[in-house]
Amino acid sequence: MGSLTGASGALLAARTMLATLLFWFIMILTVASAVMVVVARNILHSAFSLAVTFLGVAGLYIFLHADFLAAVQLIVYVGGIIVLVMFAIMFSAHTQEGTVEPPRSILALGAGAIVAGVVFAALAMLINRLQVPFHETTPRAQWQKLEGRLYVLQGNPHAPGAADQIKSLSAEIAALKKQEAYRTTVSAKPGEYALGHVLLGEYLLPFEVASILILAALVGAVVIVRKETR
Amino acid sequence: MPLPSALPLPAIENLLSGGPDNLFNYLVLGALLFAAGIFAMVSRRNAVGILMGVELILNASGINFVAFARFGGHETGFHGYDGQIFALFIIVLAAAEAAVALALVLAVFQTHRTIEMDRVDELKM
Repeated sequence: MGSLTGASGALLAARTMLATLLFWFIMILTVASAVMVVVARNILHSAFSLAVTFLGVAGLYIFLHADFLAAVQLIVYVGGIIVLVMFAIMFSAHTQEGTVEPPRSILALGAGAIVAGVVFAALAMLINRLQVPFHETTPRAQWQKLEGRLYVLQGNPHAPGAADQIKSLSAEIAALKKQEAYRTTVSAKPGEYALGHVLLGEYLLPFEVASILILAALVGAVVIVRKETR
Repeated sequence: MPLPSALPLPAIENLLSGGPDNLFNYLVLGALLFAAGIFAMVSRRNAVGILMGVELILNASGINFVAFARFGGHETGFHGYDGQIFALFIIVLAAAEAAVALALVLAVFQTHRTIEMDRVDELKM
């Protein structure tokens, strides 16, 4: 038995290390290809780098347990938007420069660097100041913790303000248990089931409005590019 | 009586708990993609290049939404899928925006025979 648990422990460690390596590989790939999108002189190289960035973001969605979003990212971005971008590049490449962009002026590069640097610095400061305890937590862990405090309070019911605290704690535990029950009914199935449940329940109106938006975009795109014939 | 927060730890240590797969890394990646997109939008001359910057920014916001949905949703009363729904709608908007913007690029090319934004200056005297 001892050797068995040792073997499974080693397996788990190997899996964790593999996941860590994969995570950093995808992170670095995403950032590097995003930089390539920005600095490449040939706009076609930019488009290919953009495809790699989208692939990296899809991989990160899988790491974030958003499998459906990863699939949508692949289908819509890599399969749709990149192809559209390629088409636009090919259609508009009949100039003497072809797909190579003429060098950008120092002014444009400087302005871009300053704006991007300021935006990144502001975001980094905000991230650094995040105070809320963001961590993966379940309602069960929370109400169990609160129940421990409730137990302590009930052992000493004559302390000042204890009745009020018991009342508020009980209400909070009940709310958390309700949340847990909802999540177990929803997440007993795969995450895609829960996502569909929420998308076609709570978010039905935005979902339907999005279809009108897509129709409008479709018609608008055709109207904009069609040749005037009369 | 308000309850004390569940984990009164300083920010960074809290965010970095749990290996490399933590909120902090995703937020930094989102900020980097956002900055790269802004840089492309400001400095690119090619209209398609500018559009690529916009796509980078939209991806950055999607990453942020999904990361917060996984690591921060439950204490704010959301059930962890709202962020994913928002990312989904961002992808829908990005697709619609790309279709219209690329149509605009083609329309500009038809009238000006170039898509360099410096040279499309018909309104200038």
